[in-house]
Amino acid sequence: MNTRKLVLLFLLGCVFVPTLQAQIKHIEMRVEGMT
Amino acid sequence: MKQHLGRQSGVQKVDVSLIDGKVDVTPQEDGQIDPAQLLKAVYDSGVTVAEMEVTARGKIVKDTSGNLALQVSPNQSFTIAPNDLLKTVEPLADSPAVFTLRGELYHKPAGKKKPEASASLKLLILEVQKKE
Repeated sequence: MNTRKLVLLFLLGCVFVPTLQAQIKHIEMRVEGMT
Repeated sequence: MKQHLGRQSGVQKVDVSLIDGKVDVTPQEDGQIDPAQLLKAVYDSGVTVAEMEVTARGKIVKDTSGNLALQVSPNQSFTIAPNDLLKTVEPLADSPAVFTLRGELYHKPAGKKKPEASASLKLLILEVQKKE
Protein backbone atom coordinates (compact mmCIF):
# COMPACT_ATOMS: atom_id res chain seq x y z
CA MET A 1 0.00 0.00 0.00
CA ASN A 2 2.79 2.39 0.98
CA THR A 3 4.64 1.57 -2.24
CA ARG A 4 1.58 2.47 -4.31
CA LYS A 5 1.28 5.79 -2.47
CA LEU A 6 4.95 6.55 -3.07
CA VAL A 7 4.65 5.75 -6.78
CA LEU A 8 1.57 7.99 -7.03
CA LEU A 9 3.42 10.81 -5.23
CA PHE A 10 6.38 10.43 -7.59
CA LEU A 11 4.15 10.57 -10.67
CA LEU A 12 2.32 13.65 -9.39
CA GLY A 13 5.69 15.27 -8.71
CA CYS A 14 6.81 14.60 -12.27
CA VAL A 15 3.72 16.37 -13.59
CA PHE A 16 3.60 19.39 -11.28
CA VAL A 17 7.24 20.25 -10.51
CA PRO A 18 8.08 21.46 -14.06
CA THR A 19 5.02 23.72 -13.97
CA LEU A 20 5.95 25.14 -10.58
CA GLN A 21 9.46 25.89 -11.82
CA ALA A 22 8.21 27.88 -14.79
CA GLN A 23 9.56 31.38 -14.47
CA ILE A 24 11.42 34.33 -15.94
CA LYS A 25 15.13 33.56 -15.81
CA HIS A 26 16.72 36.71 -17.19
CA ILE A 27 15.86 40.10 -18.63
CA GLU A 28 18.13 42.18 -20.84
CA MET A 29 17.40 45.69 -22.02
CA ARG A 30 19.15 47.89 -24.54
CA VAL A 31 18.68 51.49 -23.51
CA GLU A 32 19.27 54.91 -25.01
CA GLY A 33 20.09 58.19 -23.31
CA MET A 34 22.01 56.70 -20.42
CA THR A 35 24.86 58.86 -19.08
CA MET B 1 18.42 53.94 -12.73
CA LYS B 2 20.26 50.93 -11.26
CA GLN B 3 19.01 51.75 -7.76
CA HIS B 4 15.49 52.41 -9.02
CA LEU B 5 15.37 49.07 -10.85
CA GLY B 6 16.88 47.27 -7.88
CA ARG B 7 13.96 48.43 -5.74
CA GLN B 8 11.37 46.86 -8.06
CA SER B 9 9.53 43.78 -6.90
CA GLY B 10 11.21 40.48 -7.79
CA VAL B 11 14.59 41.98 -8.77
CA GLN B 12 17.67 40.30 -7.33
CA LYS B 13 20.47 41.97 -9.24
CA VAL B 14 20.94 44.72 -11.83
CA ASP B 15 24.03 45.08 -14.02
CA VAL B 16 24.45 48.19 -16.14
CA SER B 17 26.97 48.56 -18.92
CA LEU B 18 27.45 52.20 -19.88
CA ILE B 19 29.68 51.29 -22.83
CA ASP B 20 27.16 49.25 -24.82
CA GLY B 21 23.99 50.61 -23.20
CA LYS B 22 22.88 47.27 -21.80
CA VAL B 23 20.99 46.59 -18.61
CA ASP B 24 20.86 43.02 -17.27
CA VAL B 25 18.26 42.15 -14.67
CA THR B 26 18.47 38.93 -12.70
CA PRO B 27 15.14 38.00 -11.10
CA GLN B 28 14.87 36.49 -7.63
CA GLU B 29 14.81 32.71 -7.28
CA ASP B 30 11.03 32.45 -7.65
CA GLY B 31 11.17 34.31 -10.98
CA GLN B 32 8.15 36.43 -10.05
CA ILE B 33 8.95 39.65 -11.87
CA ASP B 34 6.88 41.98 -14.03
CA PRO B 35 8.71 43.10 -17.23
CA ALA B 36 6.13 45.85 -17.85
CA GLN B 37 6.89 47.28 -14.41
CA LEU B 38 10.63 47.25 -15.22
CA LEU B 39 9.99 49.00 -18.52
CA LYS B 40 8.09 51.74 -16.71
CA ALA B 41 10.77 52.00 -14.01
CA VAL B 42 13.47 52.59 -16.65
CA TYR B 43 11.41 55.30 -18.35
CA ASP B 44 10.73 56.89 -14.97
CA SER B 45 14.51 57.15 -14.56
CA GLY B 46 14.67 59.28 -17.70
CA VAL B 47 16.14 56.59 -19.95
CA THR B 48 14.57 55.20 -23.14
CA VAL B 49 14.30 51.45 -23.61
CA ALA B 50 15.07 50.47 -27.21
CA GLU B 51 14.63 46.69 -26.76
CA MET B 52 13.81 44.25 -24.03
CA GLU B 53 14.65 40.57 -24.25
CA VAL B 54 13.65 37.88 -21.80
CA THR B 55 14.67 34.31 -21.18
CA ALA B 56 11.76 32.48 -19.63
CA ARG B 57 10.64 28.96 -18.85
CA GLY B 58 7.03 27.96 -19.17
CA LYS B 59 4.27 26.11 -20.98
CA ILE B 60 2.73 27.03 -24.31
CA VAL B 61 -0.97 27.58 -23.81
CA LYS B 62 -3.90 28.94 -25.78
CA ASP B 63 -5.36 32.02 -24.12
CA THR B 64 -9.03 32.97 -24.00
CA SER B 65 -8.76 34.70 -27.40
CA GLY B 66 -7.26 31.61 -29.01
CA ASN B 67 -3.79 33.17 -29.22
CA LEU B 68 -0.76 31.19 -28.14
CA ALA B 69 0.98 32.36 -24.99
CA LEU B 70 3.94 31.40 -22.83
CA GLN B 71 2.63 30.82 -19.32
CA VAL B 72 5.44 31.42 -16.84
CA SER B 73 3.29 31.24 -13.70
CA PRO B 74 -0.40 30.58 -12.95
CA ASN B 75 -1.13 34.31 -13.16
CA GLN B 76 1.47 35.51 -15.66
CA SER B 77 1.62 34.77 -19.37
CA PHE B 78 2.87 36.52 -22.49
CA THR B 79 1.07 36.35 -25.82
CA ILE B 80 3.45 35.08 -28.50
CA ALA B 81 3.84 37.07 -31.72
CA PRO B 82 3.65 34.92 -34.86
CA ASN B 83 6.91 33.91 -36.56
CA ASP B 84 8.57 30.73 -37.89
CA LEU B 85 9.78 29.66 -34.45
CA LEU B 86 6.24 29.80 -33.10
CA LYS B 87 5.30 27.13 -35.64
CA THR B 88 7.83 24.76 -34.05
CA VAL B 89 6.23 25.01 -30.59
CA GLU B 90 2.60 25.40 -31.70
CA PRO B 91 1.86 21.65 -31.93
CA LEU B 92 2.71 21.32 -28.23
CA ALA B 93 0.25 23.98 -27.05
CA ASP B 94 -1.68 22.93 -23.94
CA SER B 95 0.59 19.89 -23.51
CA PRO B 96 2.72 19.26 -20.38
CA ALA B 97 5.89 20.18 -22.34
CA VAL B 98 7.89 22.99 -20.74
CA PHE B 99 10.01 25.30 -22.91
CA THR B 100 12.86 27.64 -22.14
CA LEU B 101 12.60 30.46 -24.66
CA ARG B 102 14.56 33.61 -25.38
CA GLY B 103 12.50 36.28 -27.00
CA GLU B 104 11.99 39.95 -27.61
CA LEU B 105 9.26 41.34 -25.40
CA TYR B 106 9.50 45.00 -26.36
CA HIS B 107 10.89 47.00 -29.25
CA LYS B 108 10.64 50.78 -29.21
CA PRO B 109 8.19 51.93 -31.87
CA ALA B 110 9.68 54.36 -34.39
CA GLY B 111 9.08 57.97 -33.50
CA LYS B 112 7.61 57.31 -30.07
CA LYS B 113 9.51 58.28 -26.96
CA LYS B 114 7.38 56.62 -24.34
CA PRO B 115 5.54 53.27 -24.46
CA GLU B 116 1.79 53.32 -24.19
CA ALA B 117 0.79 52.18 -20.72
CA SER B 118 -2.04 50.13 -22.15
CA ALA B 119 0.14 48.33 -24.70
CA SER B 120 0.54 44.67 -23.81
CA LEU B 121 3.92 43.06 -24.24
CA LYS B 122 4.11 40.40 -26.94
CA LEU B 123 6.84 37.81 -27.00
CA LEU B 124 8.64 37.35 -30.32
CA ILE B 125 10.51 34.06 -30.01
CA LEU B 126 14.19 34.41 -30.99
CA GLU B 127 15.45 31.05 -29.75
CA VAL B 128 14.03 27.83 -28.33
CA GLN B 129 16.74 26.94 -25.81
CA LYS B 130 15.25 23.85 -24.21
CA LYS B 131 12.22 21.58 -24.32
CA GLU B 132 11.39 19.31 -21.36
